[in-house]
Amino acid sequence: MRVNPLLPVLFTLGVGVLGAQQAPTTTKPAAAPAAQAAKPAVDVTAPRETDSVRFAIIGDSGTGDRRQYEVGAQMTKAMQIFPFEFVIMLGDNIYGSERPQDFVKKFEKPYEGILSQKIPFYASLGNHDDPTQRFYKPFNMNGERFYTFKKGDARFFALDSNYMDQQQLKWLEEQLSRSNDRWKVAFFHHPLYSSGARHGSEVDLRTRLEPLFVKYGMDIVFAGHEHFYERVVPQKGIYYFTQGGSAKLREGNIRVNSALTGKGFDTDNVFMVAELDKESMHFQVLSRTGRRVDAGSLPLMPEPKPAEDKSRSQ
Amino acid sequence: MMRTAVALYFSALCISLPVEYSSASALVAQQAPVNPRAQAMFEFKKRVDGYLELRKAVTQKYPEVKETGDPAKIHEREVNLGKGIAMARANAKAGDIFAPVSSQLLKTVEDDWNSRSVADRRAILAEIPKGLVLKVNQPYPPNIALATAPPKLLAQLPMLPEELEYRLVDRRLLLRDRDANLIVDVLVGAEPTRTE
Repeated sequence: MRVNPLLPVLFTLGVGVLGAQQAPTTTKPAAAPAAQAAKPAVDVTAPRETDSVRFAIIGDSGTGDRRQYEVGAQMTKAMQIFPFEFVIMLGDNIYGSERPQDFVKKFEKPYEGILSQKIPFYASLGNHDDPTQRFYKPFNMNGERFYTFKKGDARFFALDSNYMDQQQLKWLEEQLSRSNDRWKVAFFHHPLYSSGARHGSEVDLRTRLEPLFVKYGMDIVFAGHEHFYERVVPQKGIYYFTQGGSAKLREGNIRVNSALTGKGFDTDNVFMVAELDKESMHFQVLSRTGRRVDAGSLPLMPEPKPAEDKSRSQ
Repeated sequence: MMRTAVALYFSALCISLPVEYSSASALVAQQAPVNPRAQAMFEFKKRVDGYLELRKAVTQKYPEVKETGDPAKIHEREVNLGKGIAMARANAKAGDIFAPVSSQLLKTVEDDWNSRSVADRRAILAEIPKGLVLKVNQPYPPNIALATAPPKLLAQLPMLPEELEYRLVDRRLLLRDRDANLIVDVLVGAEPTRTE
């Protein structure tokens, strides 16, 4: 694996605290005093590979308030060091009214720095989103509530968790059964697992989706809805992230001592950047102030064997 | 092939024929074996299809928006489509579409509700908007979040075409036109928002 020359420098800035038992593998080179002085405004490290799939993740972002703009500014900065190729949105893309000017205030302006670089966004719908958002070209939904797209070795599945009807489940199963991509990544609004005191795990939705995810080897699931960041302890061999804090914040809402939590952060807004290479997913979670609050590498799990559950529960 | 399809359809209609219906008047049953539930579903589907026909006529005037970077076009189409449909069915009232299956729907919602844990109910209640007065032919309030439709319940309700969706609001089950943001029908008495 080629090591980016910036990596040793940037790793001196520290890797987020990781849960002991479920800690992803991380590299932490020795500190270099010179690097301390050159600390960038945003504590992000460069990608490890040149041919990896690199993307950013935001959730519950469309408020149009100061916090959203501050996260947007950090993302623009992070993009200089970690050049993500696209952004996925985990729903609640536009809160409140959805007049034309709201799309400007709650999406186009806060992410101006990213959009101006022609970085595409791929949205999923949240409970605050009008389904007609699927016609809004910058959200790249192709006019569909649920859709799939491929980037390198990875296939992404954007789902409409507000309305998980039979048609959508049937479509999902067809798409999953057809996919032989190295990585399968789902993103949607409602978390199947969550330690949120307000919402918690969406058990009903989980009953519908998890069997498909397990059967067809879903690797990573991103959800929002809860206004904080949580890396969930892998469930049945699947990595779950909740990231609904890119503008909204529900401070102190993660239940203390929840067995689900691998790492939680609920004291500031965040966004994520991630990289999928042939063997691992490398992720970094950055706060509104540019601080890294979680980071790590998660190995690609083996594909499920035919007619056997992908049971890799922890 | 056709004969098999007809036979299958006939069998489906008869599947849940009430016992008293078939035994008390066997002769009548043999002549006209109608399953009231299937009959109601058939009528419901007919009404949904009728709505789609009317909608199709309106969309001639306001065709579907292709993907656009101009949200004004999306907004304008949504508003115009809603107004156009509301005008085309100006006399529509609650029950016009739901009526044939209203008792089945209420029972389905109630059964679903009763099958859920307290925590699950709380989670659903937390999401359902309350205190809204919603009427047929009104737009769904644009500033109010759409309550997530519980997937288990959706699996029990009659399937709808892509243009329509069920939504729970207060003690009401709504039939909502997705792209027109229009309330197409309202069924009062749906269980999930009963105060506990």
